[in-house]
This record gives sequence, structure tokens and C-alpha cells, in this order.
Amino acid sequence: MSIVILRVAAALYAGATAAYIVYFARPRHARLATAGAALLTAAFVVHAIAIGLGCSEFGGAEFFSLRGGLVLMVWLAAGAYLLLLRFYHLPTLGAFITPFILVVLVPALFGSPGHPELPPDAVRHPSLTLHIVSAVLGVALFGIAFGAAIMYLLQEREVKGKRFGALFSRLPSLDALDRMVQRLVRAGFVVYTVALVAGTITATAVWKSAWSWDPQQIVSMVVWILYGALVQLRHSGWHGRRYALLTLVGFVLVLGSMVSLRVVPGVTRHTGDYGTNAPAGGAQ
Amino acid sequence: MSGREIFLVGLSHKSAPIEVRERVALSGEALKAALGELKGMDGVREALVISTCNRVEVFVQAGGEEPARRFFTARVAAAADHLYVKSGVDAIRHLFRVSASLESMVVGEQQILGQVKEAYGLASAAQAAGAYFSRLCNRAFATAKRVRTETEIGRGASSMSQVAVELVEKIFGDLKGRTILLAGAGKMGALSAKALAVLGADRILVTNRSPERGLALAEQVNGNFRAWDELQRLLAEADVVIVSTGAPTHVLTREMLAKAMKTRRHRSICLIDLAVPRNVDPACADLDDVFGYDVDDLEKVVEATHEARRGEALRAEAIVEAEVLAFAKERETRAALPILAQLRRRAEEIARAEAERTLAQVGAKLDEKGRRSIEAMAQAIVNKLLHAPTARLKEAASSGDGALAGAAAELFGIEGESPRAEPRGDAPAAAPRAAAPERT
Repeated sequence: MSIVILRVAAALYAGATAAYIVYFARPRHARLATAGAALLTAAFVVHAIAIGLGCSEFGGAEFFSLRGGLVLMVWLAAGAYLLLLRFYHLPTLGAFITPFILVVLVPALFGSPGHPELPPDAVRHPSLTLHIVSAVLGVALFGIAFGAAIMYLLQEREVKGKRFGALFSRLPSLDALDRMVQRLVRAGFVVYTVALVAGTITATAVWKSAWSWDPQQIVSMVVWILYGALVQLRHSGWHGRRYALLTLVGFVLVLGSMVSLRVVPGVTRHTGDYGTNAPAGGAQ
Repeated sequence: MSGREIFLVGLSHKSAPIEVRERVALSGEALKAALGELKGMDGVREALVISTCNRVEVFVQAGGEEPARRFFTARVAAAADHLYVKSGVDAIRHLFRVSASLESMVVGEQQILGQVKEAYGLASAAQAAGAYFSRLCNRAFATAKRVRTETEIGRGASSMSQVAVELVEKIFGDLKGRTILLAGAGKMGALSAKALAVLGADRILVTNRSPERGLALAEQVNGNFRAWDELQRLLAEADVVIVSTGAPTHVLTREMLAKAMKTRRHRSICLIDLAVPRNVDPACADLDDVFGYDVDDLEKVVEATHEARRGEALRAEAIVEAEVLAFAKERETRAALPILAQLRRRAEEIARAEAERTLAQVGAKLDEKGRRSIEAMAQAIVNKLLHAPTARLKEAASSGDGALAGAAAELFGIEGESPRAEPRGDAPAAAPRAAAPERT
């Protein structure tokens, strides 16, 4: 059932994407931006229902797979963008976020979740939910920062290259984009820090050690340090082009590790039997 | 004669030098007084004066152009050689074109519509503009709005200062809390600095080799003067640097900028080089977060805008032409209406009288239905008889042929009664004060 609702949400996401892209091409039609936001809000709500149904159908098991994680991530990204819209006038950002949501979501529509198994009870520590949600939200915020950074680099190319074409007039000012990237990186870093703390608590409880050189732990630590550095570098005058480039690198690392560590079985104890040596298991 | 038409007498940047324009231009109370004077002149029914720095134009609805011409010649004799005169549809077209910014020095600029609206507001307040100009101006404004939304004539930056403003806006968003540095006392530099004020720059620094000119410029742009030796340090402070010195070499070098960027902690800086030969080493723009532009870059954008606007102007012309024709046609149809109304009234009076006479004779022998039939028959005869003349008159009026209306008036013998037409509240006939075209 939840997969059907999810498909409805995907259709709404597609509508929002179309509205935002056409708005980007024809910015004089301001109503398109409003329509995009409305469709995205509808998609967000329907998606929430799909997630709720998924939880009652599978007891939350689907969020332990890559598919479930990505679906949760785009939902949070959509929510974060809608929240952002309340404070900043950034309709053009929608044209950069929504296609990304769609691309991540579409594969999840066809691979049926089947009946995912819940991880062993031993892993299901109280801090686990917080760990998962904050990690995914952190990545979602890094994802929006990635979109804003791409906008920055495109606009910088226009401004610096003296090409005053369509992009030049449609994209916001460099300063606004730069500050947006910075805010998103900062917010993402805070949330991601929460995820690492919650993860450490879970690991200490389940694996009896906070740090076990698990590849996921190592990559997460690298990502955390990178974004932490980005937050710090701001104070020593880093901004603009270099900042945007680092933001891109950071997100590629996050998404790349997220996917690769789950596609290759048995690399990390974040999959399979979650390092509990339970009799059942194997890679999903 | 009692037939009144619209006349335009004016001068603009195309016909008169600034020395003449500034002498005839009026504003505020003086303009109001002049409007009152115009209105008071013999034969002037309504008047409108558009007075901007690029054009002074007097529109009157009157028996002739003379009152409008006197507006200029009575005050400035020299204006007589620069005046142009238009009447009727040509005058209407001119007003539409001016409002739509097709007559402007910079085609597509947005201010003129506001100025025409202001002119109408003033004429209206001075009771110089009445029903006719109200309709005319409203149509002109609607046309201008159509042109603005349906074409891209107002898009793009049309002057170097405007390009500079647009660039700076795309880099910094606004200039609140930021600093502009004017290096050199060139005239273009001062203009650009003033243009940038719209972005909210609150701090303007001026530096120049000769302190005298620098100080004068600082006063002119409301800025602070700094010594020329401080240039390197000023680069660390300023976010937008406008360079226009007379120096034949690079005043800002790559080394200076590289050093300044370190002190600035790589906050973006925008260099606008308005000097020829160039004062800013083009290699500066290779540095990260340094955005450099020279006169050529700005000029190219201006040229592209003008190119685009020329194309759009053709589309705008078509819109204006269609609206002018629609307006003129509507006017002429309206002008024919009083005659038609009188014709019909006269015919109906006769029909009613004849029906009553017949009924008085034979009415007693008829039942209610029979009496109705006689009334209806009389009415039907009137309708059938007037159908063709009505259609022909409307057609002739809308194609601009006033002769037929005059002939009809004469033929049906309603000419002498025309003054009685106005007080009658005969629907649309009451509104147009441009009385029926008639022969005297």
C-alpha cells in the first residue's frame, strides 16, 4: 500500500519539478513558482502518509535499507526546502532541488520493498531512531547546500565570464547564494554532529565500543571533519568559489559513501546482521 | 466653427537643444497656472501639458493649434523654430507613443509613463483635462502597459551606469554596509557612483592624484576624500572600485590586487574600469573573487540591450498602432451617435403621433389587441426605414467619413436642433463633447 501512495507523491514531485523548471525558463510567470511550492507541499504531505503507512506495514524496517534511507532523505530535503522558502525568497533554488529529489526517488518506485526484515533486537537501542533521522536530515541539508553551491558556481561563471545571459538574470546574487550555502552547511553540520553522537551512543551499547574502525564510521568522521572545517574556514575568510567547490566535494563524498557502503555487502556493520552475530541475516 | 479636434504642439530632444528645452519646461505651481491660462483661451475646451527634461508638449482640444503654440512663443520666442505640430489621429498616436516610451531618448525607459501620468494628474487637478482627455490618457496608459507586458522593450540595462549597477547587484545583492571607492575624478566615474546609490551604498570614498579635484568630487558625490598614496589600503576597504583616471598606464596591478585580497580575506571585490586607456590590469580578474570589467564589457551589454530593444520596438509599434486605430474608430463612431439619436427620436415622435391620431379615429372600434397592432406597425415602419441609414452612418463614421453624417442631418432636417442634443441624457451621446461633425 505504501508504495502506491509513494507513487502518488512521486507524481506530485514531478509536477513540482516541471513547474519550477518552466518557471526558471520563463521567470515572468511568477505563478509557476507558487504552483511549484504548492505541489511540493502536497508531495511532502502525501510522502509523509506513505512513510507512516510504511512504518505500520513493515515496523520501520524499510529505513534500514539504502532504498528506505534515500526515500526518507528526499522527504526531509523537500521539508527543509519548504521551510527555507518561508524565510528566504528563493524560488529559483527549487529548479535545482526538485530534479534531484526526483532522480533519487524514481528508482525507489520500482524496486518493491518486499518484506524487509527488521534488524536484530540487540541493535534497536533507543538512540537508533535519532541516529538515523538526524543522519539522513544532515545529508539532506548537505544536499540542498550542494544545489545552492552549483547555483553559485554557475552564477560566478556568468558574472566573471561577462556572459550576461539567461542564467545571469535568473540566478540570485553571488552574495546571497554564498550566504545560503554557508547557512546550510552550518545547519547540516550541527544535525550531522547529533547523528554522530547518537551513533556513538548506539555503538557503545550494541557493539560495546564507540569506535571500531568500521568503514562507515571512518567515512562519517571524514565527512564530519570536512564540513567542520568548512564551518571554521568561514571565519578565516574562505568563501565564494573555493567554499562552493568544497561543498560539492563534501556532498559527493557523503552520497558516494552512503551508496557504495550499502551496495557492497558485508563491508560495514551498518548492514546485514549489524555486527551482532545473530544467526539470521546476510546482506539485504 | 464648433467642431473641435485634438492638437499637439511641442518640442523634444529630437527637435530642440537643451538650452531651449530648459527654458520652456515648467513644473508644479507654474505649470498649473499655465494650464489654467491655456484653458481660459478662446476655443480651448481641454488641455494637457507634458513637461519633462526631454520634452515639453501641449495637447489641446480646440478649434486650432494656435493656443498651444502661444504657450511656447509667448514665453520663449526662440522656441518657435523648434516646434512640431500634429493634429487628430497623429496627435493621439504621438501621445500613445510617448507613453509607451517609443519616443524616448532611451527607447523603453520606464520613467516616462509616470511622467505622463503625473502630467494628466496635474491637468486634471487644474480642471484643464476633462472627459475627453481622461479617456484619451487612460487608453494611452493602458497601451503603455500592454507594450510593457507583451514586449521586452523595457528589459536590460541601457546605459553604462545601469550595467554597472546590474553587475554589482549580481555580485553583492545590495550595497548596504559596503564601500564604494572612486579612484580618479572622471565624469563617468561620478555618474556611476551616483547610479550605485540605488543599491544603498552608505559609504563612498574618493581618491585622486590632485587633492583639489578629488575634494570637489567627494563633495559632489557625498563621499570622503582620501590621499592617493593610500590606494593600496583603500583596496582592502572598498567592495566596488570605480577607476577613471587620466593615467596612460595600469593604476591597479595584479600584485596590488593579490595583496589586497589577502588583507580582505578574499571578500569579493568588483573593479569597474571606465578609463581609456585602461587603468586596471586585465590580469586582475584572473584572481579568485575579483570581478573586473572595462568600458568595452559595459558597452557590449548596452549595445546588446539596444539591439534587443530595437527588435522589440517593432512589436511595440504594432501594438500602439492597433490601439490608436481602435481609439480613433471608437471616437468617430461616438461622434456619429448624436445624429443617429436625433434621427431616431424624430422618427419615433412622428410614428407615435400618427398612431395616436389613427387610434383617436378608429380606436373605439378596436379591442386592446387591435390597438397594440397599430402601435407596433408604426414602430416597425420606423425601424425598417431607419435600419439602412443607421448602418450606413455608423459605417461611414468609423471609416472617418464625416460628410455623410452632415448630409444626413441636412436631409432629415435635424441640423438646426443640434444644440438641443446635449442636455438630453441620451446614453452614450451625452459623453463625447467632441460635438458631431457638422457643417456651418
